[in-house]
Formats: sequence, C-alpha cells, structure tokens
Amino acid sequence: MDMAAWKIALSTLVLGAIVGYLGQRSRFCTISGVRDFFLVKDSYRLKGLIGIIIGGVLGFALVNRMGGKLANFTNPGGWEFMPMLRDGLNIAPAVLIPVSAVGAFLLAYFSVMAEGCPFRQHVMAGEGRSSGMLYIAGLVAGVVFYDFAIIPYLQTLTVTG
Amino acid sequence: MEQNILRRIVNWLRWNLGFKLSSNMALITGVTMGVLAAVVQGYFGVQPPAGDGICAVSHPADLVNWVVDKVFGTSFVSHEIFIAVPVLTSVGFILGSYAAAMRNKEFKFRRGPVRDHMQAFILGFVIINFGMLWGSCPIRTAVLVSYGMWFAVLILGMMVLGVVAACLYIKWKVRRAN
Repeated sequence: MDMAAWKIALSTLVLGAIVGYLGQRSRFCTISGVRDFFLVKDSYRLKGLIGIIIGGVLGFALVNRMGGKLANFTNPGGWEFMPMLRDGLNIAPAVLIPVSAVGAFLLAYFSVMAEGCPFRQHVMAGEGRSSGMLYIAGLVAGVVFYDFAIIPYLQTLTVTG
Repeated sequence: MEQNILRRIVNWLRWNLGFKLSSNMALITGVTMGVLAAVVQGYFGVQPPAGDGICAVSHPADLVNWVVDKVFGTSFVSHEIFIAVPVLTSVGFILGSYAAAMRNKEFKFRRGPVRDHMQAFILGFVIINFGMLWGSCPIRTAVLVSYGMWFAVLILGMMVLGVVAACLYIKWKVRRAN
C-alpha cells in the first residue's frame, strides 16, 4: 500500500478509536435514543443523534470553507448518490428506493430487539459483553452471506446503460 | 495550556447556558462524530462515496470484503475507496471502547443485554443484511442528512418508524403477558 492508502486506513482507525472511547463513556446509541424518547420521554441519547446532524452541518461547512475536498457538496443530489449504488450495482430507482426504505425500517426494528444500534454493539463488544461479541460474529457471517446470496440477486435487477 | 482553555470553555457554557457536561455527553459524542466525519472526508480523502467518514454497517462489511478478497482472491463489492485500502473504523470502535472501559475499570467479561447467545449471533446476521440493503447505519444516515442528501431524511424517518413499531410490539407483548 502507498502512503495515501495508509493515511486513509490510519485516519479511519483513529476516528473509530476516538468515537469508540466517547461512545463507551456516553452510552451513545442512535436506536436507543429514539426508543427511550418514545417509551419514557428520556431525551439524553436522542440528543446524540441530533448532535451528529449539528456536528455534520458545522463540520462540512467549515471543512468546505477551509479548503477541504468534499465531493458533490454543493450538489449532493438524490437517489443517484444512495449508498447501495456501488460498483457493479446500478439498480433502477423504482426498485432501489423501496428496498432501501424497507431495509432501513427492518434494521431499526431488529436493532431494538438487539438493544442497540450496530455502533453500540461494537462498543459493548469492547466492554467485554458476550452478546456484543457474538453480534459482531453474526455480522461478519452476514456480510459473507450478503456477498454470496443477496448481491447476485440484486445484480439481476441492475439496469444497463 | 489546552486543558486550561477547554476548562474555560466548559465553565463558560455551564454558567452562561446552564450546559452540564455529564448530562450532555451523548450530544458531545454526536457532534464529535459529525465533525470528524467531515474532517476525514475533507482532509484525509475518505471518499467516494460522499459522507462515508463513519459507518457501523458498511465499514465492517468493507473490511470483511477486503480481508476475504486478499485471502481468497475474490472480488466482492466494496465502496470504491476501500477496495485497495482496509477501513479500520470498526476495529477503532472496539479498541476505543476497550480503552475507555479499562481506564475506568469497567471492563469485565459478562453477558450482554441479549441473554441468548444464538439470538445475539442471528440478530447480527439479520441486521447487517437489512442494513446493507440501505448501505448505511443510522450514524452515517444522519451524516448524509447533514451533507444535504434529501433521500437520507426519508430513510432516517423509516428508521424512526422501525423503532416505534418495535416499541409498540414490545408494549403489546408485555400487556399480553400481564
């Protein structure tokens, strides 16, 4: 790997470590934030989710102003920039939008059953909780399953041209 | 010197805005996440795709794909920037959390909130597959909202609906048990 690749890899590691440290101290969780507010009107964790949006708006605006390179920042676009549209997947919006919406709904639904968002599960694994560690093991197995079973199916829905 | 400045800022916030550090720790964590996502994208080149500085769904998936590609010579689908580079965010999450737990004498091997081990494994398996359909975790979805992607607002709304539906189901189950 060249220097630029190492820079990217190390920056993600450092960012993850800072956020993981803060996440452990604050019990930050996006899913539990909404859940706590809905069930017991406790807004402590919900403030974290709102904080990401505030921090993102401030951060992106400042980085853009201070000469940072942000792709498509002035024209972020709509569905054509959706995260699922990656190399080899060029799915028509009529399929992509409902599939993404259902995926997001079910991710949140099952995350309530797992008592935390994927980030919180990483933090719990770092704290020594066995459910977090097994969740991560399931996540790894799930990624391989997704690559072998789901991606080939999604590629049949790909539009060309 | 830096600690002095930081203490002054915290004191100013506390006395002038009634801001308490302990009761706003989650808010501070969230703001830090948003700012750092912008910094790594703008200055460290973590793009394309846009707004991909932090994610607990696609980053672990990209890391797994990178390792599998290297070991078995496959070519699984990954975010463009992470095809040749290992993304270590999820490793960082675990190391950072471990460091915080050790520093505060909170590290201990114990069961988590999901008591059944098999259930915890299955939940991880299921959640990553649904998460990959959208391609992001709730944190990155919020980052994309702040980036100005209008579609992410709809997806964040779907996530809130998913949490509400699960809460209603739990309430119904508890009422039925009583």
